[in-house]
Amino acid sequence: MSRNPDSDTIPLHSTSQSDIDEIENLINSQPYPSSVLPARPPSPPRASIPISSSPLPPPAPPLSSSSNSTKPIPVPPAAAKLPPLPPSSNTRSNGTSNVGGSSSIAAAGFGPAPNTLTEPVWDTVKRDLSRIVSNLKLVVFPNPYREDPGKALRDWDLWGPFFFIVFLGLTLSWSASVKKSEVFAVAFALLAAGAVILTLNVLLLGGHIIFFQSLSLLGYCLFPLDVGALICMLKDNVILKVVVVCVTLAWSSWAAYPFMSTAVNPRRKALALYPVFLMYVSVGFLIIAID
Amino acid sequence: MDLSPPAGENYAHPRICFFHVLFKAAALAFYILSALFVNSFVIIFVITVLLGALDFWVVKNVSGRILVGLRWWNEINDEGESVWRFECLDQESMARINQKDSWLFWWTLYLTAVAWIFLGIFSLIRFQADYLLVVGVCLTLSIANIVGFTRCRKDARKQLEAFATQTLASRVTSTIQSAFSVV
Repeated sequence: MSRNPDSDTIPLHSTSQSDIDEIENLINSQPYPSSVLPARPPSPPRASIPISSSPLPPPAPPLSSSSNSTKPIPVPPAAAKLPPLPPSSNTRSNGTSNVGGSSSIAAAGFGPAPNTLTEPVWDTVKRDLSRIVSNLKLVVFPNPYREDPGKALRDWDLWGPFFFIVFLGLTLSWSASVKKSEVFAVAFALLAAGAVILTLNVLLLGGHIIFFQSLSLLGYCLFPLDVGALICMLKDNVILKVVVVCVTLAWSSWAAYPFMSTAVNPRRKALALYPVFLMYVSVGFLIIAID
Repeated sequence: MDLSPPAGENYAHPRICFFHVLFKAAALAFYILSALFVNSFVIIFVITVLLGALDFWVVKNVSGRILVGLRWWNEINDEGESVWRFECLDQESMARINQKDSWLFWWTLYLTAVAWIFLGIFSLIRFQADYLLVVGVCLTLSIANIVGFTRCRKDARKQLEAFATQTLASRVTSTIQSAFSVV
């Protein structure tokens, strides 16, 4: 492939071929079976580092304090997951693309590591998986070092909630002896619509919570109920079911409590928390009542 | 937008294009054909929605980056506000994006959404609320990607114009300066 050093462009044919060759070399040499090939960055003459918005530091892992870290951690917060429709009320017009060295948007405390546009696919997968795990640990498990809980789910993602809701629906459907499809559809719709309505409830109460952050939180807090449903599916004893459901219900509510309560005015805490508790109780009844 | 792929060059990333189309087509095909073979709604739902979610992820994180050089995501900043970020490659790389890749990307994105809308209308007509749920989820995912990437592209074009005018202005001034220095 010849390159004219004075010109800005490279004929596309030769780069196409070289990219294909690079990908084929990768297939033959890579040790792991990934279904999607790691995307090689384009051939060197192309600029591979996009000039992105903020030269600000990427976020530290959620447990440590975030805003002053300057290490270039190659784990940017990118890739928000399932439907992140632009929220109508609180989108600032910071959505401008940031190219050509334009001035940074200084408001954000986070910034992507500069290479996310050209990183290999496997990195993206690993990054997203680790985000799910860290969100789960943060939300559901007791954590004495947890700082301000309102800030904890900064890196929200919707994959975790998606899996948990589907898993709960599947478990309930499996336990049911009749009307399996209806059970699944009802469970899924109830949980999805319930999460949306609960979030709207908090917003309407004048609380400060981000829509997707709250959806993500309510989804992750389903994890204990998932465990409970699994146990109830395996062992069909009524007393055991009641005990297990009560324990997991308490655990779920306890996990959801700090986030919801910090989001609203203290006088309205109960108004925000009661519907959450109600939803989990109804899911608990579903689990007990299914036979 | 033209209806036929631009001629004269091949796909630059054929495998990525393949995966871009694969999950979309698989979700649609499975949904349409499953009514013939599979009795259980649960299986149809789970597999279709899973394929739709995988497609969303692939388009957002892989093919968007590689085929058209765009990326969008959401962040929550220190003050607890949500910020939508749009990012694209710099101007030189954007100029070198393969036209066929880009054509395929955008057309399949729009066509999938249209297909899901049609399927939604069918299930509405047949009063099947649970299939409407499946269609609703997949449609939401497609539309999210369309909206995200369209906004990203608009911003990229604005930046391109700004960059072009800036470059033009700087070139004009440097030409004038060199002209004066010669004189």
